[in-house]
Amino acid sequence: MENDYGIPSAPVVSARFADYMERDCQSHGVPLRYTFPPYPVGWVSREILKGYVQGNDPVTGIPITEEIINALTQPLTDAEKNFKARKRPERERLLEPDTEEDLRRLFIENGWTDGLPIILPTEERVAEMLTGTDHAPDEQVGMMSVTTNEERLKYTVEKCAVIAVMAGCRPEHFPVILALAASGRPSMPSSTTSFASMMVVNGPIRNEIGMNSGLGALSPINYANSVIGRAWTLMSINFGDVRPGATFMATTGTTINYNNMCCAENEENSVWAPFHVRKGFKKEQSVVSLFRGWNVRMLGMAPTKTTREVAMQVKGMGRSYTYLIDPLVAKNLKDHEGFDDLAKLSEWVADEMQMPLRRPEAINFIVVGGEVNPFWVATDFSYLQTVPIDPWIPSAGIKKDARPIRMPVAVTCKDGSCGLRL
Amino acid sequence: MGRDKGRLMSGRIAVLDPVGQPSGIFGRRLNSDSPMSAIHDPTNQPRDTAENLSSLKMAPRLDTLDGKTVYLVSIQFAGSREFLEELQLWFSKNRPKVKTVVREKKLGWATDEPELWQEIKENGDAVVFGVGG
Repeated sequence: MENDYGIPSAPVVSARFADYMERDCQSHGVPLRYTFPPYPVGWVSREILKGYVQGNDPVTGIPITEEIINALTQPLTDAEKNFKARKRPERERLLEPDTEEDLRRLFIENGWTDGLPIILPTEERVAEMLTGTDHAPDEQVGMMSVTTNEERLKYTVEKCAVIAVMAGCRPEHFPVILALAASGRPSMPSSTTSFASMMVVNGPIRNEIGMNSGLGALSPINYANSVIGRAWTLMSINFGDVRPGATFMATTGTTINYNNMCCAENEENSVWAPFHVRKGFKKEQSVVSLFRGWNVRMLGMAPTKTTREVAMQVKGMGRSYTYLIDPLVAKNLKDHEGFDDLAKLSEWVADEMQMPLRRPEAINFIVVGGEVNPFWVATDFSYLQTVPIDPWIPSAGIKKDARPIRMPVAVTCKDGSCGLRL
Repeated sequence: MGRDKGRLMSGRIAVLDPVGQPSGIFGRRLNSDSPMSAIHDPTNQPRDTAENLSSLKMAPRLDTLDGKTVYLVSIQFAGSREFLEELQLWFSKNRPKVKTVVREKKLGWATDEPELWQEIKENGDAVVFGVGG
C-alpha cells in the first residue's frame, strides 16, 4: 500500500515479533511504522483484546492507539525517506582451513547442520559428488528461502554437492538432490505453525539407488531414504537461511523435518497406476513429488465395516489429505470395494468428508508399505509439485559405486536360513 | 573414500561453504488467486528485481485523521478481526470524526489482493493491517 498505492499504513504485529519486524525493515529497505500489542492475540477474550487496544505497546511504552495514529500522521523523517536495504556480502567458496574437529564444531555452532554428525564437504568429496551429474558445477540451480519475504539465496550445482556430501549421500543419489533443489522449495518453511514436508520418489531410479518403498519405508532402515530426506533439510537450512527466532519461527517444530518422510512408491505392488503417472508423467520417468502440511496419523486399528471407512477417521483434520496406504489396503479397495479408479475414491472421500471447499483433486493416495498389515498413514498434506529427476542424471547413466552401499532389505525366510526352521 | 587431498600439511583441512549466496531477491508478490501452497512455488518467483524491491517507498503521511476514512484490514490470523473491531470501537468513542471500515482479507495473510487495495485507494485515506504474529 505504501509503495504501490501511496496509502499510509500502520501495520500491527504482536510484540513477540518486534525484533523480527525490525530485521524485516532492514532487509527490505522500508522502515514501516509498526505497532506491537501484547500477545497472544488469538484465542483470548474480547475483554483482553480491549485491554490491548486501550493499553500500551510493551516495546515502546506508547499507548497503542496513539502509536497507530502517529504512524499515519507524523511526517516522514529524512531517515525514513532515504532508508536503504542492508546488503549481505558475497560468500567465499572455501571456509578458512582448520582441523576436522574444529570444522565439525564450526558447522554445528553456525547452525549449518541438523545437529547430527555430517561428512565435511572437502573439495575432493564434493568433486566426487559432482560425478553424479553432467551439469556444470557453476550452473545455478535455483533460489530458496524458508520465509515468504526474506532474501532468497541462490545456489549452484556445486553448492548442492556440498549439501549432498554433508548429508552422507553418494553420487548415485545426487540427481534426486538436484531435483529437490530445482524445486526451490524448503522442507521446513518458516511458519509459527510448524510445517512438515514429505517427498515421494517414483520411477526407475527408486530401485536403481536402492530406495525403500516396502516394509518400513518411512523408518530409518534404508540408506537412500535416510540421506536423501536429510539432504532436503540441510539445503533448506543453508539455502533457505534457517536462523531460529529470526527466519525460522516454528513454535513447537516437528521431528518430521529431520527426514521429511522420504520414501518411494511401491509401484510394483500397487493395483493402480503410479502416483506420477496420475500426474501426467510417464511410468519410465523418474520424479520426486513434494507435499506439505502439519499432521500425520496412523490408521487401521479401529474396526470398520469397510476399508474405505478408515479414511474417515481423520475427518476435519485439514483441507487436503494425502494418504500413504499399504498395498494390502489398495488391493482391498480395488478388489472388494470397487475402486478400480482412484479418482472415484477421491470423490467418495470428498463427499464423505463434507469438506467446506469440496476438492477431490486435493485428496491423494500413494501406495507404500510391505504388505504386513493393511495400514494407512493419513496426513493433511497438500500436494505441491512433481519435479523430474531425469534431467540431472548423467548421460552415461546413474553414477554408482563399484559396490553400492545398501542396508539390509526385508526378507521372508523360505529356506530355513533365518534359523527358526530346521 | 581414499586419502583426502583436502587435508593440509598442518592437519588442517579446507572445506566448502554450505550457505547459499546472496541474491538481493526478497519476497515476491502473489497473484490474487494464489493458494497458500503457492507461496514457495518456483514458477511464481519474484516479479520484481532486487533493485525495485529494495527501493520501496513510504507514502506521505496525513495531516490529521479527522474527516478521513481509515480501513482496518484483518489478515485472518486468529483474533485479528476481533482486535480491529475493538480498535474501531475505540475510534468511534474517542475519535468520532474518523470513519473506520473493517475489512477481512479473502485469501490469506500473504496474498496480494488488488481489488481490496483498489477499494482502499478509492474510498480510503489510510490503512491499519493486523494483527501479525
